[in-house]
Amino acid sequence: MKKQVSYSLLFIGIIILIISVWNLLKPSDTVDFSADIKPILNKNCIVCHGGVKKSGGFSLLFQEEAFADTESGVPAIIPGNAAKSPFIQRLKEDDPELRMPYKKSKLSKEDIELLTKWVDQGAKWGKHWAYTLPEKVEIPEATQSAGISSNDSQGFIKNEIDHFILRTLENNDLEPSPAAEPNIIARRLAMDITGLPPDESIFNDFTSGKITYENMVDELLSRDAYGEKWASWWLDHARYADTKGYEKDMGRSMWQYRDWVIKALNNDMPYDQFTIEQLAGDLLPNPSADQLIATAFHRNTMNNDEGGTDDEEFRVASLIDRVNTTFEVWQSTTIGCVQCHSHTYDPFKNREYYNLMAFFNNTRDEDTSEDEPNLKFYNEEQQRKVTGIYDWISKNEKKEIAEAYNNFLQYSEPIYHAHSAKNYTNGNLADTKWLALRDNGSCYLNDVYTQGANYMYMKYSSGIDGTKVTIRRDHGEGEILAQFTTNKTNGRVIQKFPFKQSNEKLNLYIEANNDKISPKSPTSYISWFAFLPEIKADNNGYTQMDENFMQMLNTNTPTLPIIVENPDYQQRTTQVFERGNWLMKTDTVQPATPKSLNAWNDAWPKNRLGFSKWIVSKENPLTARTLVNRVWQQIYGRGIVASLEDMGSQSDPPTHPELLDWLSLRLMNEHNWSIKALVKDIVMSGTYRQSSKNNAKLYNLDPENRLYARGPRMRLGAEQIRDQALAVSGLLSTKMYGPSVMPPQPEGIWQTVYNGGNWVESLGEDKYRKALYTYLKRTSPYPSFLTFDAGSREVSTVRRTVTNTPLQALVTLNDPVYLETAYHLAKFMGQGNNVDTSIRQGYKKAVLVDISDEKLSALRELYNVSLSDFKDKPKNIKEFIPFETDANANLAALTVVANAIMNLDEFLTKS
Amino acid sequence: MNSLDRLIKEKLQREIQAKTRRHFIKDCVAGMGGLALGSFAMSCNSFLGNNEKAKIALTERDVNPLASMAPPFPAKVKSVIYLHMAGAPSQLEMFDYKPTLHKLHNQACPQSLLEGKKFAFIRGTPKLLGPQAEFKQHGESGNWVSNFLPHFSKVVDEVAFLKAVNTDQFNHGPAQLFMHTGSPRLGRPSIGSWVTYGLGSENQNLPGFVVLTSGGKTPDAGKSVWGSGFLPSVYQGVQCRSKGDPVLYIDDPKGISRNLKKSTIDAINNINKKEFNEYSDPEILARINQYEMAFRMQTAVPEVMNINNEPEHIKEMYGVQPGKESFANNCLLARKLVEDGVRFVQLFDWGWDSHGTGHDTAVDLGLRNKCTEIDRPMSALLLDLKQRGLLDETLVVWGGEFGRTPMQENREGQEMAYKGRDHHGDAFTMWMAGGGIKKGASWGVTDEIGFSALEGQVSVHDVHATMMHLLGFDHEQFTFDFQGRPFRLTDVEGHVIQEILA
Repeated sequence: MKKQVSYSLLFIGIIILIISVWNLLKPSDTVDFSADIKPILNKNCIVCHGGVKKSGGFSLLFQEEAFADTESGVPAIIPGNAAKSPFIQRLKEDDPELRMPYKKSKLSKEDIELLTKWVDQGAKWGKHWAYTLPEKVEIPEATQSAGISSNDSQGFIKNEIDHFILRTLENNDLEPSPAAEPNIIARRLAMDITGLPPDESIFNDFTSGKITYENMVDELLSRDAYGEKWASWWLDHARYADTKGYEKDMGRSMWQYRDWVIKALNNDMPYDQFTIEQLAGDLLPNPSADQLIATAFHRNTMNNDEGGTDDEEFRVASLIDRVNTTFEVWQSTTIGCVQCHSHTYDPFKNREYYNLMAFFNNTRDEDTSEDEPNLKFYNEEQQRKVTGIYDWISKNEKKEIAEAYNNFLQYSEPIYHAHSAKNYTNGNLADTKWLALRDNGSCYLNDVYTQGANYMYMKYSSGIDGTKVTIRRDHGEGEILAQFTTNKTNGRVIQKFPFKQSNEKLNLYIEANNDKISPKSPTSYISWFAFLPEIKADNNGYTQMDENFMQMLNTNTPTLPIIVENPDYQQRTTQVFERGNWLMKTDTVQPATPKSLNAWNDAWPKNRLGFSKWIVSKENPLTARTLVNRVWQQIYGRGIVASLEDMGSQSDPPTHPELLDWLSLRLMNEHNWSIKALVKDIVMSGTYRQSSKNNAKLYNLDPENRLYARGPRMRLGAEQIRDQALAVSGLLSTKMYGPSVMPPQPEGIWQTVYNGGNWVESLGEDKYRKALYTYLKRTSPYPSFLTFDAGSREVSTVRRTVTNTPLQALVTLNDPVYLETAYHLAKFMGQGNNVDTSIRQGYKKAVLVDISDEKLSALRELYNVSLSDFKDKPKNIKEFIPFETDANANLAALTVVANAIMNLDEFLTKS
Repeated sequence: MNSLDRLIKEKLQREIQAKTRRHFIKDCVAGMGGLALGSFAMSCNSFLGNNEKAKIALTERDVNPLASMAPPFPAKVKSVIYLHMAGAPSQLEMFDYKPTLHKLHNQACPQSLLEGKKFAFIRGTPKLLGPQAEFKQHGESGNWVSNFLPHFSKVVDEVAFLKAVNTDQFNHGPAQLFMHTGSPRLGRPSIGSWVTYGLGSENQNLPGFVVLTSGGKTPDAGKSVWGSGFLPSVYQGVQCRSKGDPVLYIDDPKGISRNLKKSTIDAINNINKKEFNEYSDPEILARINQYEMAFRMQTAVPEVMNINNEPEHIKEMYGVQPGKESFANNCLLARKLVEDGVRFVQLFDWGWDSHGTGHDTAVDLGLRNKCTEIDRPMSALLLDLKQRGLLDETLVVWGGEFGRTPMQENREGQEMAYKGRDHHGDAFTMWMAGGGIKKGASWGVTDEIGFSALEGQVSVHDVHATMMHLLGFDHEQFTFDFQGRPFRLTDVEGHVIQEILA
C-alpha cells in the first residue's frame, strides 16, 4: 500500500512537471475575462464575494469592488502581480481555514493557473458578451467540402444562417442532413407559421412544384392565422388571462388586448413600435385607442379582491411584477433578484432595481376591485355624443380642458379612491373596497388637488334616501367645501355636486348624517371622488353638453383595464425597500436604467416612454438578441442561448454566438424590426429545411440537436394539438377576435370558493374556435391545455416545458372533443370505396404522408377488430357515435381508426 | 479494497447520482426491459435500421419521467400524506390549551398586543375569547387535546406537535400557497411536485402525486397549491375525484370496450415503433411508454378509488360514506394509495374559517362539527397505517395555512352574534406522525393566551425542510434551475426541526 502511494506521488510529480514546463514553453496567449475567468468566479467565488454577501469586504461582481481595499486594508487583487495578490495566495493555501474557496476543496490546478495568469497579465476586466453588442458580424465563408455547400438547389446552403451552422458542424465533424421531403417540410412550415397544417390547395401547389418554397413561406406569413399562432406565444410573455387571479379570481375583460396583439403581429408592426406602445402607449402624443389598448400588457398583472387584503400591498406586487416581467420579456434578465440585493452573478445593483421601479411606479391603477382605470368602448351612437362633447368644449374652452373631459369619458381618471380615506369615526372601508359612513360618521381624505374645480364627481351606491354629506376643509370645524344630499341609487352611479373652488392641495374631512337609519347601517358605499377643471362658458349648448356628459359617464360599455400615468399632483415617490420588504422604505430614488447596459439619451423623457425608447435603442445589447433567441426557439424547440429567460453570466453560452448577433443586427438594421422578416430568414435556411431523421450516432453525439445537423422535431403545443384536430376534421371555425369562448369541458372543473363565474358552454361555431380564444381562468385553466403544458399565466412565461405524460394520452384518446373530431375525420374516410382506401385517405389527410404497408396493415387490423366488436354489440355504435342517427358499424370502426390516427406520434409531432 | 476506499467510492457514486439525479443506462436493451413496457418485448436493434448497430444512450428518465429513484441521503419515509385544513383551524379549541385565556375571557385586549399587527377583519380594540372547548392531557405523552377530538385523543402518542408554527401571510390564498409551495406568490412548484420530481413513483400504474378534496371543492388558492410551477407538468398533482371520472378522461368513451381500447393502443404503439425506426427520436419511446401507462391507469385508478371492496370493519373505522367526496373517504383512499406505492397524497378539507359570522363558523358550534368530521377518519388513518406496518415508512402531516386569534373577531369594530376568531399567523399548531418522527413529542410553546411564540418557533420553511429531510433530501441542495437561478422549496431559509425527530 505504502509503495503504491509513493509511486502515485511520483507519477503526479511528473505530471506537474510536464504541465509546468508546458506552461513555460507554450506561447503566452491572453486570458479572456468573460470566457475564462468569469465562469470560474461565478462557480466558486461569487456566492460569498458577490452581490449578496461580500465576505471580508471583497466582492468580484463589479470591477471597482474587486480592486478596492478589502477589510484587511489592502486590495485582494494587485494587477500585474499575482504572487503578491491575496486573491491568488489564498487559493494556494494549505490551511483549510485560510484557503479559498472557504471550506471547499481546492480549485483545480488549471483554474488556479488561469487566474494567476489573468492577474499577472494585468487583471483586465471585461464585459460579459451579453452586455456588449458588436457593430458588425462577418459571415463565415463556405468551405467546399463534402459537396454540401454548393449553391445548386440540392445544396444545404440556402441563406446566410447556413454558413454559421455549417462552420460549427464542420468543427464537430458532422454533416447536415438531407433536405426533408416536400410534404414533410410543407407541414412543418405551416405548423410553425400558422399553427395549422397546410390546407389542400397550398399543399398541392407546393408539392406539385406549381409554387416555390419561398412563395409558400410568403403566402403563409400573409395569413391571419400567422398572427393567431404567434399571439399565443406573445400572450404567454404578457401573462394574458381572462381572470384577475389570486383567491377570488374573478373575471375581467382583457380580450381587446389579445385582439390587439393578433392585429399587431399580422400587420407586422415593427418590434420597436410594438414595444413602445405596450410599455408606454398612454404617454405617446395624443394616443389612439389602439395605443391605449396596447398598454393593457402591464394590466395583465393579477388583482387581489379578497376581503381584508391591503390594496397598496398588491399594487406594489403588481409593480414588482411589471419591473420583473419587463426585464424578463425584453432583456432576458432575472432582475427579480436585485429587488433584495445586488444581483448575485450579473452586474445589476440593488439600488438600480428601485431606479427601474421608479419608471413604473406612477400609474393610476391601485389594485381596486373595479380594476380602474378602464378604457370604455362606446358604440357608434355613443361615440358621436362623446365627440360632440369634446367639440363643444374645444370650441368654448382651452384644448387642455376639452382633453381632460374627453379623457374622463374614455377612462375616468384621475380619481381619488375610497381606500385613500383614513381615520374613520362611525365608518370603515367596507369589505376593504368602499368608503362607508354610518350616521354621524366621518373620515379624512388628504392631499386632494381639485384643479380649481367647481364640482366634485362621486361614484357610489346607496339604498337609503336623505343622507346629508358635508365636506369640510382640514377638520370637523373647518370651512365647508361642499354640502349635499344623497339618495337611494340604482346600483353604482356617478353624480356631481357643487364644490368650493380652490387651487391648493386640500385635506378633506367628510361627514355623513342620516338619523333615520339604524346606527349600524352605512349611508352609502363610495368608490371614488374626482375633480375636473371648471368650464366657465355657459353659452348655448352647455346644458345639453353637460347632460350628455353625465349620461355618457353613467353608460355601461365594454371596458379594458389600461395603464394611465399619474398627473403631477398625484405623483408617488419611489423608495428603496430594505431587503425587498415593501413596508420598510428607505432612500428615495429617481428613474434610471442600469449602468451596465446602454447609456441613457438625454433627449428621452425620464418616464416610461423614455424607458421604452431605451429598451428598443439599437445600443441596447439585449433586446434584439432576446427576440431573435425566442423566435428561434419557437421554431427549433431550443434557443441559440438555451436558457431563454436569462442571457447573463449564469446563462448557457450561445451555441452560435455570431449567428445570434448577426440575426440581431439584421433584425434592427436591415429588417427595421420586422418579426415576419426574422421568421422568414429562419425558415428559408437550409438548416430549417433539413430532414429531422435522427440516428444513433447523431443522437449520441448531439442528443438535443444543439448543432443542427438535423431538422427540428418536437411535440406540438397545446393550442396546435386542438386546432389541428379541429382543422383535419373540418370543424375548425376561422372566426377571429371577440370575447373568449367556453368550449365543452367536463363538469365540476370550475369549483371555486366563490359563487358566480360559471362555465357556460359556447354554442354553434364558438365551440370550435381556435384554442387561443378559449377562456382562461387562472386558478382553473382549460384542463386539456394544462395537460399539454400550457400555463395558467399568473406570471410571465417565456418558455413552456414540454412533457410527455399519460394524462395527455387520456385527453386525445377519450376527451369528447377528440372523439367528435375523430368521428368527422371518419366521415371523410367513409367516402373511400374500400377500407384500405378509407384508411389511406384518413391517414394522408391527418399527417400528409402516404401510408406505408406496415402501418396500413396495423390500422386495417384495428378496423377489423373494431368492426366485429361493433357488429357483435350494435348497441355500442349509437353510444360511441351519438352524433348521427343512421350510424353504422363501419362508421364506428372508422372512428376508432381515426381516433388512433389522431393519437399517432407523427400527428402530435412537428417533424 | 479496504472499507475506507469502499466508503469513499460509495460517497462519490452518491454524489454523481445526486448531481445527475438519474441513472444512466448505457445498454439500451436492459434499459427498455426496466421500463415494464409490458405488452411487447423490445430489443434495441429492432428499433434501429439494419445498418444501425450503434445504440442510443438513454437515461431511464428520458423515457419515463416518473421512474422511481433513490434519494441522495438515507430516507426515513417513502411517502407522504398531507392533510390540509383549508380556512385555518383554531389551535385554541383543539391543541393549544390556554387556561389563562379562559380567565381573561371578555376582557379588552391590551393595546400592546395590537400595535404593529395587521388583521384581516378585527378593527379597534377586540375582546379576548376564552377556549370554547374543554382540554385534558392524554396518553403517556400527556399532550393536551380538547374534547372536540375524542378519537384523536387516543392516538396522541403517535404524533409530534409543533405548537408555534409561524407564517407571515394572513390571507387564505397567499398563505395556502406559502404552505404548499414555499412562496405566497404563484408560480412555484408544490411540495408534492418537488417530491415526485426527486423520487419518481413506485407504482407505474398510478399517478405519483394524487390530490383528494373533500366535497370536490378547490381550495382558495386554486389548483396552484398542487401545481408543478416551473417543474415539468408531469410532476403536478393529479386530482382524483370520487364522483364523475376519478381522473379527467380516465373512462373509455361509451361503447368502447377495454379490449377495443387495448387494440387501439396496440395499433398506435405499433405504428409509433415503426416511426421510431425511421426517426430514432427517443421522445417516441417515451410516448409509447406513456400510452401503455395511460391504459394501465384506466384500470388501476378506478380500482384504487373504489372503497366498496374494503372490509366493513375498515369502513366503520374511518366512518366512510360511499359515493360522497368526504374527508373520511379520502383518508381511506389515502391509505390505499400509499399502500399501492403512490408517493405523495394531498388531502384538502375546507370549512375551517371560523370567523363567527354564523353558526357554521362559530368556534363553539360549527368548529366542533368540523372536528367531529375529521376526528375519526384521521385517527383511523394513523391506526390503519400502523396495523399494516405502513406508518413507519409514511409521513402524515396535519395543519392549516395559519391559526386564529385569541381575540374574538369584531367585524367592522362591532360585536358579533356568534363567537369567532380572526386569522392569525404568529403561532399555530401542526402535527406530524410516521417514520422518523419522535412519538408523543411536542415542540414550541406559546404565551399565556396563545398569541405569540415563547420558544420553539418554527417557520413554514422549517416544516418543509423537515419533510424533505425525512424523505432523504438536503433541502438546501435539492434545487432546480429556472429563470437563470437555482430554485429550492425552502427559498433561502429553512432548518430541519430536530426536536421532533426520533
